Amino acid sequence: MAIAQFIVNGLLIGALFAGIAVGFALIWGVVDIINLAHGEMVMLGGYASFWLLNIATGNTNASPTVFLATIPVVIAVLFVVGYALQRTLVQRVIGTDIFLTLLVTFGISIAIQQLAIQAWTANPRSIQTSFADPSMTLAGLTVPKMKLLAFVGAIALTAALYAFLQKTRTGRAIRGVAQNPEAAELVGIDVEHTRAVTFGISSGVAGGIGAFVATILTIDPQMGLIYTLKSFVIVVFGGVGSIPGAMVGGLLLGSVEELTAGLVSSRWTLAVSFTLLIVLLVVKPNGLFGEEADQ
Amino acid sequence: MSTSDSEERSGLLHSIVPPNRVDQLFDFCGTHAWKILLVGAVLGVLPPLLGLEGGYYMTVVTEMYLFAILALSWDIIGGQTGYPSFGNMAFFGIGAYTTAILVKTFAVGFPVAMVAAALLAVAFATVIGMVVLRLRGHYFAIATLGVLLAAQQVSRNLDITGGASGIILFDVPPGTVFYYLFFGVLIAEVALVYYLSNTRFGFVLNAIRDDEEKATAMGFNTTYYKTVAWMLSALFTGLAGGGYSLFNTFLNPQTAYNGAWNVELIAMALMGGSGTVAGPVIGAFGLHTVIEYVETAFVGWQLVVLGAAIIVTVISFPDGVVGTLREYASGMDYYERGGMAATSDDTEVTADE
Repeated sequence: MAIAQFIVNGLLIGALFAGIAVGFALIWGVVDIINLAHGEMVMLGGYASFWLLNIATGNTNASPTVFLATIPVVIAVLFVVGYALQRTLVQRVIGTDIFLTLLVTFGISIAIQQLAIQAWTANPRSIQTSFADPSMTLAGLTVPKMKLLAFVGAIALTAALYAFLQKTRTGRAIRGVAQNPEAAELVGIDVEHTRAVTFGISSGVAGGIGAFVATILTIDPQMGLIYTLKSFVIVVFGGVGSIPGAMVGGLLLGSVEELTAGLVSSRWTLAVSFTLLIVLLVVKPNGLFGEEADQ
Repeated sequence: MSTSDSEERSGLLHSIVPPNRVDQLFDFCGTHAWKILLVGAVLGVLPPLLGLEGGYYMTVVTEMYLFAILALSWDIIGGQTGYPSFGNMAFFGIGAYTTAILVKTFAVGFPVAMVAAALLAVAFATVIGMVVLRLRGHYFAIATLGVLLAAQQVSRNLDITGGASGIILFDVPPGTVFYYLFFGVLIAEVALVYYLSNTRFGFVLNAIRDDEEKATAMGFNTTYYKTVAWMLSALFTGLAGGGYSLFNTFLNPQTAYNGAWNVELIAMALMGGSGTVAGPVIGAFGLHTVIEYVETAFVGWQLVVLGAAIIVTVISFPDGVVGTLREYASGMDYYERGGMAATSDDTEVTADE
């Protein structure tokens, strides 16, 4: 029974990892860069929601409805941040050496981190949401309602992103650029704009999920890199450019981490994740759901 | 408007420092490299003898040597061989923990501990290299970052490393020892890298960087060359780490496996000019001076400055100081042969680009 409980916890948290990783995979596929500042978008999203609640209600003890009302605003803010980053900085290094693009996004990442420390101090913070009855029991398994809300929220955001890519005109343009930028340009797609929109959407989704992270875990200015690396593990596992793959990968990573924490010790979860990353890279660099080898 | 502006400025620059002067400088450095290194070595030995003992400036200069070692070590694998490692600091951490544990827990002498640190770092590099050197590009970069963070997590959880609170060291040698230690390692490394860059070994490394498939097709066992370069990089990084733990008198997982330092030393190599011998050293001296200044003058902003410096370097002059100067120097030939006029009907030159 304990193991089933660990797996349930893992699935609940894994949906958040999956949602973050989907945006990371999208940027990788469409803009063709590894965005090492992706975790910072999660962090900024968490802080955006935190401060919105603080300004609107005077404290961070919000009811779930009020908290959910901040999510669209957070997504909008992070969309603008992502769009601007792509247009002003990242766009200039696309097509150069891979390692230069990594360095630029890493530069962005550490600059944002330190600015966040200057602005909000390095103390961890969190958003408290108040439920009348904080947890419920399903077939003998305890499910905290806040985690369930975060789970549903993350799945909803990921599903919305998927539908957006499949159904809308902009979504088709994004997929077109991912497949062949030159051909996309020939049929009249503004490639640079589309890439920036992709960057913005991915950052927006990551930010929205960051707000959920703030409710069930804590946020601090230096949390970003870990989320970036987890996204990398998930994307390598699921295959670049596969949203279902990233979804499965996220849920699996969450389960593995919770199982490690439950059966061994929570101190070893990160070590296990990073080791998994190296092993996966070596054994299966194209992922379980991967369509093509990128490198 | 802006183009004529910049042309005017570069014209002015041409008259003040003509490209052929820069070219002569490169020629001079090329022919007298060993003498320059010797002069540098003699000059570097002097400060402590002339009365600079201990104190702030001594520490800063020692740190400059330390970063120069790290940047040049990174450049062996990153700049010369084209494998951008984001995990070089793992070797540093292993070296640092080796000396710290041996000296403190097992009361081993410092010189012996240094040798052990270097050997362990190289052994670790050999094992990890067999795995990660099979990857390329993005995958290699992230895998090495994963190695660094996994190593950090392991040292955080073991008892022998002191866990998250780390190790505090007492009874460390005086500052002059570390000054000469890092300086000696740096001189040895510069000499070795310079020597190698003119040998078959160095050329094969550059061939791997430029096109690994072609290098393999020419019959080189690229795995062998890559692994040796990776081990050399680990050797010097491990030595630097081994010295650092006692130099700093304190060690914890955060300082030993410092991801920000890893980026810092990549930035140093890149700013100075990666793939050259002098570049990483110049970059390390320059950037460390700037960071040291920012650290004292604007506390808490050094990472913002570092991030901004990296972004500007990568976007504006990815060839670094030495690379940009070299390009400038080669401009002379171009103008002497008639500049654009000579290339207009000559397809050979354009094909060359």
